[in-house]
Amino acid sequence: MNRRDFVRLGLAALGVGTLSVAISDCAALPVIPKRPTADSGTALGWISHAEGAYTLLLPRAEMGQNIATALKQIACEELGIEWSRLTITLQDTQRMEVVRATVGSDSVKDYAEPLAQACATLRDALASGRQSGRLRVVNRPVSELRAFREGRFVGSSPQIVHGVEIVTGEPLFAADIRLDRMIYGRVLRAPVSPEVDVRPARWDEAAARAVPGFVGLVDDAGLSLGGNRGLGVLAKTPAALDRIAAALAVGWSVGGDAMPRDIEAAIDVDTRLQRGNLDNAVVKGRVEEGAPWDVDIRIDVPFAAHGPIEPRAAVARFQNGSLELWAGSQDVFYIRDVLADEFGLSTDQVRVHACRIGGAFGGKTICTVEREAAVLARATGRPVKMQWTRAQELALGFHRPPVSHRIRARLDDGRITDWRNAFVSSHILFTSAVLPPWLQGLIGTFAGDGGVARGSLPPYRTGRTRVDYDLVRLPVHTGPWRGLGAGPNVLAIEMAMDEAARAAGADPVAFRLAHIEDERLAATLSQVADLAKWGEAAAERPGMRVGRGVACGIYKDMSYAAVVADVAVDAGGRVRVTRLWCAHDCGRVINPDQVRAQCEGNLVWGVGMILSDRLAVDDGAVGAQTFADAPIPTMAEVPEMTIALLPSTAPPTGAGETAIVAAPGAIANAVRAATGFRPTRFPLDPSLFRTT
Amino acid sequence: MDITVNGRLRSVAPEWRDEALLSVLREQFGLVGAKFGCGVGICGACTVIIDGEAVRSCIVSVRDAAGRTVLTIEGLARADALHPVQQAWLDEAVSQCGYCQTGQIMSAVALLERSGTPSDSDITAAMNGNLCRCGTYTRVRRAIHRAAGAER
Repeated sequence: MNRRDFVRLGLAALGVGTLSVAISDCAALPVIPKRPTADSGTALGWISHAEGAYTLLLPRAEMGQNIATALKQIACEELGIEWSRLTITLQDTQRMEVVRATVGSDSVKDYAEPLAQACATLRDALASGRQSGRLRVVNRPVSELRAFREGRFVGSSPQIVHGVEIVTGEPLFAADIRLDRMIYGRVLRAPVSPEVDVRPARWDEAAARAVPGFVGLVDDAGLSLGGNRGLGVLAKTPAALDRIAAALAVGWSVGGDAMPRDIEAAIDVDTRLQRGNLDNAVVKGRVEEGAPWDVDIRIDVPFAAHGPIEPRAAVARFQNGSLELWAGSQDVFYIRDVLADEFGLSTDQVRVHACRIGGAFGGKTICTVEREAAVLARATGRPVKMQWTRAQELALGFHRPPVSHRIRARLDDGRITDWRNAFVSSHILFTSAVLPPWLQGLIGTFAGDGGVARGSLPPYRTGRTRVDYDLVRLPVHTGPWRGLGAGPNVLAIEMAMDEAARAAGADPVAFRLAHIEDERLAATLSQVADLAKWGEAAAERPGMRVGRGVACGIYKDMSYAAVVADVAVDAGGRVRVTRLWCAHDCGRVINPDQVRAQCEGNLVWGVGMILSDRLAVDDGAVGAQTFADAPIPTMAEVPEMTIALLPSTAPPTGAGETAIVAAPGAIANAVRAATGFRPTRFPLDPSLFRTT
Repeated sequence: MDITVNGRLRSVAPEWRDEALLSVLREQFGLVGAKFGCGVGICGACTVIIDGEAVRSCIVSVRDAAGRTVLTIEGLARADALHPVQQAWLDEAVSQCGYCQTGQIMSAVALLERSGTPSDSDITAAMNGNLCRCGTYTRVRRAIHRAAGAER
């Protein structure tokens, strides 16, 4: 009996393409990995069966969205097996066909059905007595899939995969890997912008060698991140790296650059608007420019770090000319392809094992610490573990770009007749971390960046509408951050809608409902209004100004959220969010408790966007060293939350970054209601809301 | 140089004696439950209990831990049952990414040892230095209340 055939059945020979851009002074750079969409034939390769035990090779990165649990529910439901009979194995580039990066809240939307189709095929084959041979999936109508209706597992919330391992401290994360003869590495870099050409010029090797635990130095062109070339250090223990770094006292040769130092000026939307329309149009309507506006607000949202508690880590081992790597990455196949390219290896000679990721939020998509670990492991011949320090995580990672918005609206008889929104930001999808300036320039002028634009199309009937934006390359690298542009863009829209409702003298919920086109958004907003008893005032608190606000939005044309927030503002202007309600529609729900968990996370991120998210940047470089300089919300800042999931039989979509479109606007609008002042710059500066 | 870890006397190898306790636990002893998050005692991911007190093992030198009694997440469960706090964490499905959770649990265990039935403000005071970027705070709070009930 050859049950392994079931493993092989799905491994169709799919070509793996990588779009390369040749750059004069650098190697071909994999830019936009071309990946097939998952189909049910590929999905057969994820599921295997032997002696009544099933294994699911998870086609997605597990980073806390608990997709392992959701896909296990799908598989167990469709296979008709007990929960304990299916084991989850994380991604492994040598054991599965290439899959796309785990981004965009697409995992349930794009992977549940192919997996269910494959499991249905396997179930029927086993039931008919087949134990070997090639299987072919014949897709059946979704209505015939057991996993797409409520069942034993689907629609319930079983104990999460890795739940016990997490609470008992079992090794799950990249930095938990320990190998024989393993040593520790770090790449020292100059504290300048990654846009600056810099290299180590001089260092005191003798002093470094005298440090106990010293193993070696690595000066290698492969240790460049953009133009920033570092110096590799290897030691027998982690703290020896700190002592060696101090002893080396590296002097840097720092080149020039032509990057803007005054970032606020570089992205000032009003300066840009004086020259006419911006380069990239989301909506190209013609608005009445001459007449006065009823709403005219400027909104500024700064840089923000992702702030995962796990600084990125990797363990690399070179053996017999092959590279084996353990990584906590949203895209292990991208890492494989980059490193194969880097070392002139075939993709078979690079094996990347996915580890559970200690938070990513869009920030762990490119190849950084993995490349450093691989270069050092090749140089030393011993396995190398690397984990970025918190300061490296802040200085060398990419961040949410700052954005400045101008929104103007005009009303007639309580309805919006004109909507003019312009904004300036930096790249999110076509990032400086992977694209050279000339190519980014072309994209900025001719193609735009859908990540920056995300969420900027108002989900309202806004009459004559123009929405456009500009992209500016900045010295601090930027990229995807939970929700991409949608968090800040919808925050801007929802504050403008709040002002428009005030201008119309209308209730903010009723005003929105009168302008909403999408029925599901209207239902979600109505649901949160019921849940929060909209119309009642926020509970009084002695000595505090209290207020209630609302906001709603659509994420990626697929998921819907609406939030009501209560805030209390003290005499010193300090804002506390005292209560949050959220209604959420992401279609059919596989695991209600985990969708709620994602909503809770998004609400906390909304609190952070308004009250704390910032990243200290000095003279064009990240100055932040610790969580104190790039704060994230703490328990004390998080209020009680009530979440309602709208019942739905629509196809399942995503929940990972939906409520972040509504939570910040609701909080900002509540501050407006409590204080009478429209907040326009974030995070909030208490001195602007002070009464004493 | 010896440390009692989870009831067992362990010897710190000579080359590890200038390290933080966190590195020795993780790298020499293989107790990887405590995590590196910030290296300066702000985030709490490295929390362990030394002589009954929750401490940040990333800023405790292993020399200072010598001769003392350290409890890590690996020492909480008995052979047949999880610790009530671990069980409460599962029952409330607290974990998202899970990276900070061992530190959260150790802070919670120390809190409950001190105060059998903590109030919400006791919980905030004890837990505010344990950061979670996934935003699991409301569940952390619920799990602590649940464990307090279970422990009574």
